[in-house]
Amino acid sequence: MVRAALVTATSMALTGAVVAHAYLLKHQFYPTVVYLTKSSPSMAVLYIQAFVLVFLLGKIMRKVFFGQLRAAEMEHLIERSWYAVTETCLAFTVFRDDFSPRFVALFTLLLFLKCFHWLAEDRVDFMERSPNISWVFHLRVLSLLGLLAVMDFLFVNHACHSIITRGASVQLVFGFEYAILLTMILTTFIKYVLHTVDLQSENPWDNKAVYMLYTELFTGFIKVLLYIAFMTIMIKVHTFPLFAIRPMYLAMRQFKKAVTDAIMSRRAIRNMNTLYPDATPEDLQASDNVCIICREEMVTGAKKLPCNHIFHSSCLRSWFQRQQTCPTCRMDVLRASNNNQAQAPAPAPAPAAPANAPAAPAPNVAPGMLPGFPPGVFPFWGPFPAVPPPAAAAPPAAPAAADAPPSSTDTTQAAGTSQPTSSAADAATSSAAAAAPGSAIPGFPFSFPPPPFPAAPWLPMPPPPPFVSSMPPPPPSLSRLTEEELRELEAEGRRGLEARLQCLQNIHTLLDAAMLNIHHYLSTVATLAPPRPEGGAAEAGGANREAASAGAESPATERDSSTSDPVGGATVSSQPADSTSSASDAERKENWDEGAADDENGEPSAAELRRRRLRKLETSPSSPTSPSPPPDN
Amino acid sequence: MAGTALKRLMAEYKHDDPISPSVCSPGPANEENFFEWEALIMGPEDTCFEGGVFPAILSFPSDYPLSPPKMRFTCDMFHPNIYPDGRVCISILHAPGDDPMGYESSAERWSPVQSVEKILLSVVSMLAEPNDESGANVDASKMWREDREQFYKLAQKIVRKSLGL
Repeated sequence: MVRAALVTATSMALTGAVVAHAYLLKHQFYPTVVYLTKSSPSMAVLYIQAFVLVFLLGKIMRKVFFGQLRAAEMEHLIERSWYAVTETCLAFTVFRDDFSPRFVALFTLLLFLKCFHWLAEDRVDFMERSPNISWVFHLRVLSLLGLLAVMDFLFVNHACHSIITRGASVQLVFGFEYAILLTMILTTFIKYVLHTVDLQSENPWDNKAVYMLYTELFTGFIKVLLYIAFMTIMIKVHTFPLFAIRPMYLAMRQFKKAVTDAIMSRRAIRNMNTLYPDATPEDLQASDNVCIICREEMVTGAKKLPCNHIFHSSCLRSWFQRQQTCPTCRMDVLRASNNNQAQAPAPAPAPAAPANAPAAPAPNVAPGMLPGFPPGVFPFWGPFPAVPPPAAAAPPAAPAAADAPPSSTDTTQAAGTSQPTSSAADAATSSAAAAAPGSAIPGFPFSFPPPPFPAAPWLPMPPPPPFVSSMPPPPPSLSRLTEEELRELEAEGRRGLEARLQCLQNIHTLLDAAMLNIHHYLSTVATLAPPRPEGGAAEAGGANREAASAGAESPATERDSSTSDPVGGATVSSQPADSTSSASDAERKENWDEGAADDENGEPSAAELRRRRLRKLETSPSSPTSPSPPPDN
Repeated sequence: MAGTALKRLMAEYKHDDPISPSVCSPGPANEENFFEWEALIMGPEDTCFEGGVFPAILSFPSDYPLSPPKMRFTCDMFHPNIYPDGRVCISILHAPGDDPMGYESSAERWSPVQSVEKILLSVVSMLAEPNDESGANVDASKMWREDREQFYKLAQKIVRKSLGL
């Protein structure tokens, strides 16, 4: 302070001395002025004096418009001034060609006005912190804002005019600088209005924060646009404007922050309105009725979080803008609300499954996914009429198993809600397993009808499906699970599905292999058998029909197997039956063929006869030569 | 109606809770500016800081209580969790976003339900039990860990200094 006064006094004295000296030399006004402007040392003194005068003017204006500056304001001002000075020096380097006293004066003026803009901004921000705002404050802020706005506007106007009439020059920089200052004034003014309105009203103004946010967003956008335009024009006309990088970066960062804030705020408001219930008067009475964020009583507009903590909705909203946790217990509210959402659809499929259940056995088709398959293709999936007695003997198991397929198809259709449904299916099967421990393998998700015949030892049974053990136990309650747990459960369900598909694929491969074997067998038989005339084959068919009339049972099974063969050997469970029956089928054909041949042409060659006999001995030593029905299975 | 931050600060100021005996009269330095508080912290008993009276300044942001205040001791301090310039480094004063030492869990961070009183109590317990894992003052941390005797001596010196002896 003392130093500033000393500098001022010295400068004054020096100026006085220089002027007096010049006047004493020249004795007249005009020569004195000429002398002063010609003499470099006196001009230096005068320039310094000019700066001192500007400084003094600033002080006076500050006194008029702000009174005493607060420490924070002062600190802020000095910090920003340093940056501004360095940037101005950088700007001088860009415009060194038209460097002149006038140019320096213009930059000084810009800096001077900038300082007042910053101060005005700080002052308006201070409104929110000050307990009592006097009318003097309003008067000062309003007059200052008006004055600055007019000055900015005039300078922008002047810059535009000069650019249009005289082409691009330094005025470009000034034009943009003042335009940006103008947006700053606009922001400050809107904030001032918002604060004033807030001060006038008795109740807290809930939406003020939102309005502030959108003001920031809007002016930030304008600023960014201005800077981008400035950059492009400067690069085209002059050079790269190094001095504008920092403010441009700051403006962009601010704008980005405003955008993020606006998004977060919108999300918070939406969550607020949709997810959390209003606190009822009973809730308020049960708690101590004070919003712990603002320490005020809650009368209306209180919200209750899933963790039962109650806050003002406006307080909560501004907190959620920063962080999505309960202020008191730090519970993640978004996760909690997700859990609620996951819980909601969970009960839905449960009633749906029984509704589907009666329909499932009726069409006699594995429901949903693969409707084109004939019955018995997927023995794992629910009951069908051909299920042997053990499953039928356990009636509770059948409906429960019938539940399973629809819900499992649900699982594939709605991946999002897969867990609840598959767990429902799980629960159903576990109850089925409990009801009929003999018929269903415990823990196996679907009731598994035991194979209707002793498993043929030469045919490899598919290994037990891998998902038997990986199926999780049904969770106690989905609502209490965390996000990770739910996700894991979902993944578990998905793994189960994949395993099931894998299992089906294995079955398919096995069936293909079986078919190949059968074809191979048939072809070997065909090569062994002598080539027969066409009539013989027709006869064979006739004989077949005769045999059908003779033996009631075996042709039925035979035809059954021959119909199911083209479909791909049916299922694993019926596979052995098919292969054996087809084997015996071929054998029988042989026999009948033989019989028919004997009947028809009576005299086969001797070699032929011997071969036939040999084969007969080989294949069925026990079976008689007559076309009697072969042992069933 | 004034801003939320101001109202909350006024409410905290008026609220005459029986504050811990270790803490003395937190309140605004002047009635014009409610965003700068002064507090006197008594050195907790049975520690090396016993008997000391340490003045500190709390400066509140304009969005208090959504953001935490800053606390700075205005006297000389030598403590693992106090920067050499007097700033206090404890987790309760850190917003969940920033973590200067990179290890705090968000559960112990600032939240709007905290208050000046709780901050001061945390600071008192911090004086009693320094956390040398997050050294704001590395020299003090090192000394606390390796040369407790020397640390006690220095602390006593600081206590005497704080009392103007």
